[in-house]
Amino acid sequence: MATDLVPEVDRPAAKVSRRAPAPKRRRRTRPLWQDVLRYRWLYLLLLPGLVYFLVFKYLPMYGLTIAFKDYVPFLGYSGSEWVGLKHFEELFTGPDFGRLMGNTMLLALLTIVFIFPAPVVVALLLNELRVNVVKRSVQSLIYIPHFLSWTIVASLTYLLFSVDFGVIANWIHGLVGGQKTDYVAQADWFRPLIVAQLLWKQTGWGTIIYLAALAGVDSQLYEAARVDGAGRWRQFWHITLPSIAPTVVIMAILTSGNLLDSGFEQIWLMTTSLNRDVADVFDTFVYSIGITQGAFSYATAVGLFKGLVGVVLIFGSNFLAKRLGQRGLF
Amino acid sequence: MTIFSPRRLALATSLALLAVAGCSGGDDTKGQAADELTVMAPLFGTAPDPGGELQQAVEKLIGKKLKVTWVPNAEYGDKSNVTLASDKLPDVMVVGEKGSSFVKAAEAGAFWDLTGKLDKYPNLKPANEQTAKNSMTNGKTYGIYRVRPLLRSGIVIRKDWLAKLGLKEPQTVDELRAVAKAFTEQDPDGNGKKDTYGLIIPKWPGGYGSASPYDVIETWFGTPNGWGERDGKLVPGFDTPEFLTANRWLREWVSEGLVNPDFATLDSGNWNNPFVQGKGGMIIDVNVRATQLLDLFKEKNPKDFDKVTLVGNLKRSDGEKFSYPFTGYNMVMAVSKQRVRTEEQLDQVLQTLDKLQSKEGSVLLTNGIEGRNFTVDGQLAVPVNQDDPKIKAIQNDVDKAFIQLGTRASVGLGAYKLRPADEASRKMRDKFDVLMNEDLKTAVFNPAQGVLAPTATAKSQTLDTIVPDARMKYLSGAITEDQLKAQIKRWYDAGGTQVAQEVNDLVAKVGG
Repeated sequence: MATDLVPEVDRPAAKVSRRAPAPKRRRRTRPLWQDVLRYRWLYLLLLPGLVYFLVFKYLPMYGLTIAFKDYVPFLGYSGSEWVGLKHFEELFTGPDFGRLMGNTMLLALLTIVFIFPAPVVVALLLNELRVNVVKRSVQSLIYIPHFLSWTIVASLTYLLFSVDFGVIANWIHGLVGGQKTDYVAQADWFRPLIVAQLLWKQTGWGTIIYLAALAGVDSQLYEAARVDGAGRWRQFWHITLPSIAPTVVIMAILTSGNLLDSGFEQIWLMTTSLNRDVADVFDTFVYSIGITQGAFSYATAVGLFKGLVGVVLIFGSNFLAKRLGQRGLF
Repeated sequence: MTIFSPRRLALATSLALLAVAGCSGGDDTKGQAADELTVMAPLFGTAPDPGGELQQAVEKLIGKKLKVTWVPNAEYGDKSNVTLASDKLPDVMVVGEKGSSFVKAAEAGAFWDLTGKLDKYPNLKPANEQTAKNSMTNGKTYGIYRVRPLLRSGIVIRKDWLAKLGLKEPQTVDELRAVAKAFTEQDPDGNGKKDTYGLIIPKWPGGYGSASPYDVIETWFGTPNGWGERDGKLVPGFDTPEFLTANRWLREWVSEGLVNPDFATLDSGNWNNPFVQGKGGMIIDVNVRATQLLDLFKEKNPKDFDKVTLVGNLKRSDGEKFSYPFTGYNMVMAVSKQRVRTEEQLDQVLQTLDKLQSKEGSVLLTNGIEGRNFTVDGQLAVPVNQDDPKIKAIQNDVDKAFIQLGTRASVGLGAYKLRPADEASRKMRDKFDVLMNEDLKTAVFNPAQGVLAPTATAKSQTLDTIVPDARMKYLSGAITEDQLKAQIKRWYDAGGTQVAQEVNDLVAKVGG
């Protein structure tokens, strides 16, 4: 399944899948080795990718067995004792599960509502710009935040919003007055800050794929529409939007698989004693219990659970996309 | 899915497996080599050159090749957990002896139980009964403790601010508060603006009872250090009325603005900044911070830098004094069973370590190479030739790295003490000992320091953050005292009841 995800290139995936079903009929009639022989160079090209997935994505899955064991490194993978679903039970019945699930889901929801549409909107706006110099420079400028690490983004946030010396925090305080607000520490401001950081950092980068899709729209369509008397708004509504809809759907499906990945680094760096209740998500939990406390089996179980939810979400959204008449991923 | 017919898949898989088999070689780690010692230790700067002068000198002394994996201190905990999860343990590992992954590994037999085995090595034999006890885990010695002074807590105060406002050094908690109030409200820096605060507290990385300023202040009010006896039973320090009194008191500080407003988020690595920049006037931490700050002031203005003073632990309002001691060590050196397999091999490794901790070894690890980077003046080491880049490399290797391999050196056992660079630092250093000996008389030790409750390990993720987080929320005003009490009850309900039971049983069994 993982190999199917390859169309993560900046082109509508539709083309790739459209070509695939063609040689289907002849396949059964010719033995496999002839096929291989005939397309040997293609198969050779496939080989490195296949090896990569096997070695780095499938073989390590053997390690997942420790989710069902009481893993002690000294005894090794095979020497550790099997315990069945003990760790999963512990997770689902433990005091943290509800909070973790709630926080993770809420962040996922915020991602769907705010983070996912942002690049689409920005790309569409950029597409309407007619002065090329402005368009290009804006495009380049909004890519920049993507290249800053989360550590830097977090430090910047602290510098700007710290209650002691934060430039923006002081500015807001000057405008509003009253009691000073500690934006970076308070639980109420945790989620807004996380969303704002994500928007700032990833929106520009996310536009690339949509801009590429928009560049691929046949200009004859626009010409024809103009001849028929369609205005700017009509063109947008009947040509631009339908043209990038498949890309948006594919991106939505791909994103849905990562919804529970709440961005470990970002959240870890923004967690304080005061906002931990809303900041704890599966990713940070796995890190704390696995790396910091060495409960490897339990951490693996939590990670596996998260992975399973991701798979369900991918298949679910794929199903939904097909139901809504769009082309799915697979 | 049809392009993935089983047969094709099989072919591709076999090809791939062939390729994998082709590139993996057999590199299984063998046991400990007789002429080599591998060690993992924390690093505080750039890693030493393995062929460097100091390393060669150390190797010559122990008669073995030394291979040290230096790990930056900030990520040492994570890295040691990952190492514990791998099959590549070093012979000797500097490690926290109560970390849950270490204890699990040790109990599974990954490390030697050194209980009673150290006495025949003169330089490894524990010098202090209390510290030896503290460094045990439920009655077992899993490593050689790296000694540190037994009491290091103190208050660093801006001396010039005290003088300007005509205040004297505080001796009681009430006087401390008066100083903090004056520092906040009476414009100690004389710029005409109310832009200073009394006390600087950073975002604390550790949990409850981890030598944070909160823990120290609570102890002054009579809160047990970690665990304490109440009605014949050991209870956690936060389940006492003194804990609440202390935090009620500190909460007023926060609401009156006597503490830096960003105390929930200030990075502990930047703790010195507000002090040196003249924003805050006091820090409650280890005494060596006083010399650190002195050096920073000196860097800023070499002519006028004597702006720091140090005060020991404080008396409560009723005159009673409780001081916050430290554990007397910082991590232990444990010997891996995976690499060191037999008793003879263990004996050899311990002999090597014994050599490393001898007088000669301690000097190498703590001072460096005599005649190269320091000379001896009476009982003190005097740095020399510090401008020569080669000498600088030796000094760097000592200060940032090799000193971490010493188990006795940092309290001056074996090695020379450093001659302070100036009069102010000398006076400050002298004060350390005076204050320590004075405060040790009233030190409140943790009776459960040497034990580790299994439930505390198993549920640490849930339990560890409850009380420190609740304390922070209470101090910042986000929750009320009743809510704080509810959180303490939540700790008990989430497994704390078992932890308390186990701690009581274990202490009764191994005698703390």
